[in-house]
Amino acid sequence: MISQGWLLKTVVFAILGAILVPLLAVIGVSFNPTSRFVLATTAISLRWYAEFWSRREFIDALFLVSLPLAIVSAMLATVTGTLAAIALVRFRMRGRDFLETTFMIPILIPSILLGLALYLFSARLGLAGRFGTLVVGHMLIGIPFVVRVVVAALVGVNPALEEAAISLGCTRVQAFRKVVIPLLRSSVLSGAIFAFILSFSDVNVALFVSGPTTNTMPLEIFSEIQWQGDPTIAAASTVQIVVVTLLILAAQRLTRARITF
Amino acid sequence: MLFLLACLAIPLCNVVMLSFYRHSANRIWVPQFTLDNYQALSGIYFISLGLRTLKVGVITTCFCILLGYPVAYYFARAGRRALVFGMFVLFMPLMVSAVVGAFGWIVILGRNGILNSALKALHFDFQVQILYSEIAVVIALVNLLLPMMVLPLMASIEKIPRRLEEVAVNLGASPLLTFWRVVIPLSMPGLISGSLLCFTIAISAVVTPRLLGGNGSRMIGTEIYEQVVTAYNWPFASSLAVVLVAIIVFTLFVSFAAERGRRQRAVRERR
Repeated sequence: MISQGWLLKTVVFAILGAILVPLLAVIGVSFNPTSRFVLATTAISLRWYAEFWSRREFIDALFLVSLPLAIVSAMLATVTGTLAAIALVRFRMRGRDFLETTFMIPILIPSILLGLALYLFSARLGLAGRFGTLVVGHMLIGIPFVVRVVVAALVGVNPALEEAAISLGCTRVQAFRKVVIPLLRSSVLSGAIFAFILSFSDVNVALFVSGPTTNTMPLEIFSEIQWQGDPTIAAASTVQIVVVTLLILAAQRLTRARITF
Repeated sequence: MLFLLACLAIPLCNVVMLSFYRHSANRIWVPQFTLDNYQALSGIYFISLGLRTLKVGVITTCFCILLGYPVAYYFARAGRRALVFGMFVLFMPLMVSAVVGAFGWIVILGRNGILNSALKALHFDFQVQILYSEIAVVIALVNLLLPMMVLPLMASIEKIPRRLEEVAVNLGASPLLTFWRVVIPLSMPGLISGSLLCFTIAISAVVTPRLLGGNGSRMIGTEIYEQVVTAYNWPFASSLAVVLVAIIVFTLFVSFAAERGRRQRAVRERR
């Protein structure tokens, strides 16, 4: 009906195009040979990527903080989130609703409050700026998303499959392990990828919780912008864009379904 | 699981507690009960800070609604491939990080930025000076938060049977009127939850207003950051955070009330 209209289509694609403009601008600037923030129109140069590679603070932020942090917190978030999702869907236990809301709280609390609260409390315990504190923060951001994705997948598993396994002689546990878990694998994996992305792109928690030795990539970019740095910022941002794009594509390929948040 | 709950609850309670403590210049805080932090909030500076934050939140939400409806409608009725592509584009800025997006807008909107160079190259004799203002902050926030509006809207629009629209058109309604009288009222739940998401995230933004807003466009989030990092006034930062939470909880209640009111009205109309 209305959806056939070319006008709607034009408007929608104009909006989508506009959304990508800032990211494309960043990529364009990263290839420019001058030290000004201009698009690479006449010549293309990898100067700022070389600069990025030679700058200790960026490389440390990427390889010593951001990537390990995202890997560890995504793994922890995936394990807890998946277990929680299974418990939420499969066990009729007391306080289930309470637990369900508890796992969703981090979505509603703005991440800056999470960051602030974690920082103030860890400062009290003398743990401010530690890697572990960042892991806890990023795990808390990741868990709700993992829970959502896995709950959705679990609800979608046809109970007849499990019943068939049981009637063919499996115990309940075996049926769950051999039938349900393989069916969940791709959702769990895409949940893990999203937990990774959330940690990798987070800046609000890191803003408060990071210490001098635990600057993440987005944070490093943030402080460079404030110091009015050079287009190395653009190169670093492009690296960030590439990593995240690859991960999103991987996740989309995995689920083959729409991303559900 | 209990550990996680503790990781969440204890630090949050700590914030509430700190907000009632006294600030001291050399020890950051002293455990003495005081309402000073909240009294300081009633100053004209902080009232205008709060109002500015709400204003940015409301304007951002309005733009998200305006831009979000066509996008949500289109993808709710589009095929799966278009949908996957659309969601990919929509979520890009949010997924890549708010910092990168903000940097992109600086590059575009700066005084010698891409936009102004393009205007100059095209021989326009005016320049756009909106970087370091609330306008830039709103633009960047809409860019980031549009998916937060589109996703719930899309979920609601998908549930509207296509036949309803066909009926409206057959009865002589123009597409626009159909949209206004059929699609919008029936997608209210999505609109409400989308607005809630956009508004709460927008009013608690830090990085975007910090990088794109000038001194005159500080928001609650940037003020909290400054109080913690620069001024070392943790009790005051905590009280600001408590106010932010109060605003968010209030918005939650309003949206729940709106949703309940809508349902009751719908039930009454059916009778």
